[in-house]
Amino acid sequence: MTTPPTSAPAVADLVRAVQQADSAMGLLQATQALAALAHPEAAACLVEVLGFNNPGAAVAAVDGLIAIGVPAVDTILTNIDGYNYGARAWAVRALAGIGDVRGLEVLEDALGKDIGPSVRRAAARGLGQLRLQQLQRDHQRLITARCLQALVDGCRDGEWVVRYAVAMALESLAPALAEQQEQWQRLEQALVQLHRNPAEEAPVVRLRAGLALRRLELLQPAEWPHG
Amino acid sequence: MFRAMAAGDADPSIPGNGDPISEEEALRRLRLTDDPSAQYYAAWWLGRNRSTHADAVPLLRQALSQRRPRDIGAGVEENAVARNAARALGKLGSAAQAAVPDLLATLEDDDHGLREAAARALGELRAAAAVEPLRRRLESGPAVAGAQQPGTPRLQEPCEALLEALGDIGVAPPEVLAVIRPFVDHDRPLIRSAACRALLQLTGEAHWGQQLVALLRHQQLQVRRAALMDLGAAGWRPALEPIASTLAENSLKLIALRGLVENGAGESAAGQGPGTMAVLEAMDALL
Repeated sequence: MTTPPTSAPAVADLVRAVQQADSAMGLLQATQALAALAHPEAAACLVEVLGFNNPGAAVAAVDGLIAIGVPAVDTILTNIDGYNYGARAWAVRALAGIGDVRGLEVLEDALGKDIGPSVRRAAARGLGQLRLQQLQRDHQRLITARCLQALVDGCRDGEWVVRYAVAMALESLAPALAEQQEQWQRLEQALVQLHRNPAEEAPVVRLRAGLALRRLELLQPAEWPHG
Repeated sequence: MFRAMAAGDADPSIPGNGDPISEEEALRRLRLTDDPSAQYYAAWWLGRNRSTHADAVPLLRQALSQRRPRDIGAGVEENAVARNAARALGKLGSAAQAAVPDLLATLEDDDHGLREAAARALGELRAAAAVEPLRRRLESGPAVAGAQQPGTPRLQEPCEALLEALGDIGVAPPEVLAVIRPFVDHDRPLIRSAACRALLQLTGEAHWGQQLVALLRHQQLQVRRAALMDLGAAGWRPALEPIASTLAENSLKLIALRGLVENGAGESAAGQGPGTMAVLEAMDALL
């Protein structure tokens, strides 16, 4: 038996439900329903939800955008909200989750210059997980070098949560640098500094860098206090 | 209302926030007793950057004693300088122990906001000498200390700060617990949250943690945020999953989870919830 196409809720109906939601819970449920379709035509509406100051709905919208994936990237990039850093953080999270290299410049800028720590944190994470498999080797090297440079600079960020995200991102970037000795050593050095920095105010940052070093087999188990 | 752990984040209400100055410059500005606006920023700067300069604590103690009648609308008045001085002293750790007597005196000030800042600072400095004065301020209970001041949203005492300070200091004789306990039934959920946090810190009894976890599902976002900060401050690891799934900003969940890592019992404490690795993984997923 085949399901007639009319039984699936049409994107337009679900978009209308999001736009007409009159409570926080209503918005959350409508956004979840729209996100579940993972349909490219839902992207514009999901991007709009990022600016509604409803964290639950924003989580659902980000999940939806990541599920749509590459076809959502243009919509996200053309609608980055310069005035609302909450919305920008969610947009950067979506870009980070999709991992499309067209987001590289936005991620670099965000980590280096954005005033919102939540934006810088999401950008750091994204710089560790761009999808490079389809690219030619030279292009890959160019991009990973830019990611590494941005993350090395991010080690000096003033907010602990950004330094934490940088530690995690360095770990996830590492496999892409495995065959480039010089870059690998820079990455290792950055993690070692995060791990051993006596001026670090947040012990959790040192712990996270230590975990990264241990997972990359750059650290003896004895140096990990919670082994 | 963000708690002590959130206070290190960028504060857009600080004038000139982000104005990159040196430690010497901050100390110079703090000496400008005829320019409270410059002093206000300087005091904040020294706390934010955890200054270890030998002049920092003496200058902050002087700033803490500055008073001028409130004059709302005239810009930064001197009580605001004193408040920032108190907050900064709270962040300077052992170097600021010399300021504990000044902060204890400030705890008796007529200015509600100053008492609040002094209480938080004494909590951050783990000042055991403050336990009895803090207890006395709360002793009259929710019906007096916790009653609303006519014409303002404030309570008679800065109850939230007083309760949190008692929890942070961590000294729990029975008479302290007895004074805190009635506040878990206060009308305001934020006060209930602060009281549960203090009792969880002081007794380690799981049912206080469970009450905080229940507040993570409160319909008001402000209450959910406070419960997140309180669970983080107490480092109560069984709250890991409920924290991760709370409807609130990831930034606050990350602060709370950092608290579980840094304030919580490690893997060795059997029955006290998930280990450090599980908390770090939950943090990674929220970035």
